[in-house]
Amino acid sequence: MSNQTPEAQAAAAAHLKLIEQLDIHSIHKSFRNTHWRPNQRRNKNIKTILGDAQRKEANSILATPQDASGAATPAPVGDDGLSTSGTSTPAVPSTNGANANGTTVSLAQASRSLSKLVLEKSLNVPSKGSNGLAASLSSAPVATYTNIESAPSLAPMRRYCDITGLSAPYIDPKTRLRYHNAEVFAMIRSLPQGVGEQFLEARGAHTVLK
Amino acid sequence: MAPSAVDDTVSRREVWKTLPDPVLYPVKEAKFEKYIEPQSDGYERAKAQSGGNPAIVIDNGSWAVRAGWSFENAPRLAVPPIMAKYRDRKLGKTFSFAGQDCYADTSARGHIRNAFEAGTGIVSNWDVMEHVLDYVFLKLGMNGVDGAIDMPVVMTEAVANLPYSRKSMTEIIFECYGAPSLTYGIDSLFAYRHNQGKTGIVVSSSHSATHLIPVYNQKPLLAQATRLNWGGWHAAEYLLKLIRLKYYYGFPGKLNSSQAENMVRDFCYVSQDYDSELAHYLEWTGLEDRERIVQYPYTEEVIIQKSEEELARIAERKKESGRRLQEQATKMRLERLMKKEQELEYYKDVQRRISEQTTKKEIKRILDDAEVKDEAALDRMVKELEKSIKRARTKDLGGEQEEEQEAPDFSLLDVPDDQLDEAGLKQKRQQRLMKSNHDARARAKAEKEAEKARIAEEARLDEERRTNDLEGWLEEKRQLRLAKLAQIKERDRLKADLGNRKSLANQIRMKNLANLASDTPAATGRKRRRGGDDDDFGADDADWGVYRSVAIGANKGDSDDEDEAEEDLEASVRALEQDLLEYDKEFTYEHTLEAQNDWTKSLLHAFRYGPRPFDAAAPAETHRLHLNVERIRVPEVIFQPSAIAGVDQAGIIEIAGDILNQRLVGIPGLDRDSFLKDIFLTGGNTMFQGFDERMRASLVPLLPAGTQLTVRKAKDPILDAWKGAAGWAGSEDWQRAKVTREEYQEKGAEYLKEHDLGNAFS
Repeated sequence: MSNQTPEAQAAAAAHLKLIEQLDIHSIHKSFRNTHWRPNQRRNKNIKTILGDAQRKEANSILATPQDASGAATPAPVGDDGLSTSGTSTPAVPSTNGANANGTTVSLAQASRSLSKLVLEKSLNVPSKGSNGLAASLSSAPVATYTNIESAPSLAPMRRYCDITGLSAPYIDPKTRLRYHNAEVFAMIRSLPQGVGEQFLEARGAHTVLK
Repeated sequence: MAPSAVDDTVSRREVWKTLPDPVLYPVKEAKFEKYIEPQSDGYERAKAQSGGNPAIVIDNGSWAVRAGWSFENAPRLAVPPIMAKYRDRKLGKTFSFAGQDCYADTSARGHIRNAFEAGTGIVSNWDVMEHVLDYVFLKLGMNGVDGAIDMPVVMTEAVANLPYSRKSMTEIIFECYGAPSLTYGIDSLFAYRHNQGKTGIVVSSSHSATHLIPVYNQKPLLAQATRLNWGGWHAAEYLLKLIRLKYYYGFPGKLNSSQAENMVRDFCYVSQDYDSELAHYLEWTGLEDRERIVQYPYTEEVIIQKSEEELARIAERKKESGRRLQEQATKMRLERLMKKEQELEYYKDVQRRISEQTTKKEIKRILDDAEVKDEAALDRMVKELEKSIKRARTKDLGGEQEEEQEAPDFSLLDVPDDQLDEAGLKQKRQQRLMKSNHDARARAKAEKEAEKARIAEEARLDEERRTNDLEGWLEEKRQLRLAKLAQIKERDRLKADLGNRKSLANQIRMKNLANLASDTPAATGRKRRRGGDDDDFGADDADWGVYRSVAIGANKGDSDDEDEAEEDLEASVRALEQDLLEYDKEFTYEHTLEAQNDWTKSLLHAFRYGPRPFDAAAPAETHRLHLNVERIRVPEVIFQPSAIAGVDQAGIIEIAGDILNQRLVGIPGLDRDSFLKDIFLTGGNTMFQGFDERMRASLVPLLPAGTQLTVRKAKDPILDAWKGAAGWAGSEDWQRAKVTREEYQEKGAEYLKEHDLGNAFS
């Protein structure tokens, strides 16, 4: 580094100083619990999370005795605060003041597995609320990450040129690209190998090799 | 072609010169701004007012994490949810950065990781998330507390967040930071609360997704909520893809998604009538106003500008040295000439002396003195000298030298061999060689003359025909031109065909290749091989022809031949057009091939380079992005996701129509029309100019005539979620909805209290 100009050296030093100022690795963070050891494999993408959840659900259904499920579903109207349907969450002002602070929860109830609670809830569909709106809302399926996705469109689809974005009355049978006019067509035919596929990819119409 | 159209093009070719200079926008991208000091004053104030339920409010968005104090009216921090961590080997030190600080250093920039799964609102990298939260708490002045954050935390999460993600976040907040309580809520519902919404449809289009949530009497109908997987992130990526494809042959600037994000924000707008606006978007009139040009940094080739005097001096110097050289050359030439003249004198003298002598012996002595073989050689020498002196003289005079070749002496050729001695035979051979040479030259000359005469004759005939029968002549020329054009087309087609693997030309080529490579080639017509190892390939010259058929591309066949033919076609079309231009009144410049291939005619030129000519050699122009159709194409995706970007989902209008007309109608106790009074837009991706008008205009046709429809924008589509959460924190609802540390320890990480602004348990 001896061949650097003094200005460059000064700039490098200033940059190093800035970086050391910005660095938060070396700062001791007193607000963190020093005993916190997170699970090493906690980083999961959506696909794995959904897969895991599905597997777990399948297992829990297998594990729950079919005949016992009815008996184990007490489903009282203003119950213990563990049930999670929309009408009976602790947050909603309820007539029963006792469960607002959740003191009546018995140890036995609390120890019930949460997945079982979910199962109970889905079995608990029959209306129980006092007003019709709440009942109809709670009878609707619970929103999950996957089921709130909007469905494919039913409207007739317009066609746009893959190159220019203008309206596309034609399709090139060779590349399957939609195009606007003869000039664009000439350009499509002069594209190098593979570029046509990239144009298709922008529209999600490319061929995926598996 | 109609005259008006012709005028149009002519003016087009000229009109760009009257256009104002193009407005160039610089490239913008996310960058490091400045160091943010930890701000402990907020924490001090929070501790002071323990009665007012202060809380740390974090809007945990995929575009920015905004954090601040619930008693303030704006977040203290807004950082992207990214971190960079790397080890500097030279210093032996590990650095880690979060938020904008990641952009401060080049190696840090290379190590950036995002907390969210790309294009979704779901956190998938918890190490990064923790790091960003560390940063947030540091900057909020929490460092110094002992072992735990002693302030309640209010956070936003995605609509229908995955239980696993919520569980992980809860664990971190309680286990790692030891917060006394935690509440989750949905960002868009917070924003709706902040904008005093009661009943309506919340349309939230953010960085990672677009959600529609009907809210009835302040209660969200989450079961009717719908998500479209399109947000600002997708828009930026889509624009980036479009730009790369637009200049697929190589854009010299470095493109990244942060730049694309800025372009989307700065230049895109929602079209009120997409199809009709699109149809006229690339028209020439007004194109300069519709396009936006982004100039990427470039280095201009340095041309050192010299002053007038300097140039003059350089020219003078050059001339001076040239003159000196010339002088030297003339001097040398003169010297050489003089020397030659002296030699000539000398040899002439020798000749004269020989002619005076009579005895052979004397002659021989003189010849030996002059170091010449014999008399004939001497003659030749004298003749050559004379010639070269003459040539030098004419050259000095600057006159054209006429190469008058006197026919050499072929006298010996007619003499039979047996009458010649050894020397004579040798000379005869030489003469024969020279004769054939001379004859060939003469033949070529004659041929050239004949060709010239033929062309002249042809031109004369052509001329004659033109003067006698102009119409027929013109017609003939026209036909010829069309034929040539067809030929050009055919040639181009063939060329393109060779690029196609399945074309006949290529199949034959592949067959040939396979044949050449195979050990036992199929006999191609002739029996090339008789015995086993008897390889006589190449014995027949025609064998080599196979390589011609196999070579491809520039070397296809004899490349020189092809190039010449190519030149020829274009040149002959040009010549024909010249004739037609001169004599055909109907044929104007606009009809020529050149005019038809002109850039003013090209849609793709307008698309890529706008209404001005493009100079591929100017680095300033090659480093420009021209955005035109993209300006409305990118925001339009949210209305037509499958038609434009291939997202197989219904557009935002269709979703809203479905919710309003199908899903809400069936529910007893709901008044559908009350939702229409408040279509509420929030989120950064709704900030496009014209978004709310388009929303209103497109929803009206889906509703019964005369229904009242109100579309409104959030006061601040970006910050209202945080503000709403801050306003909610401390309220009674919040008190009821918060999960305390004790509850967490007792009921586990998945425990959640449902409330009017949050997700339902699932």
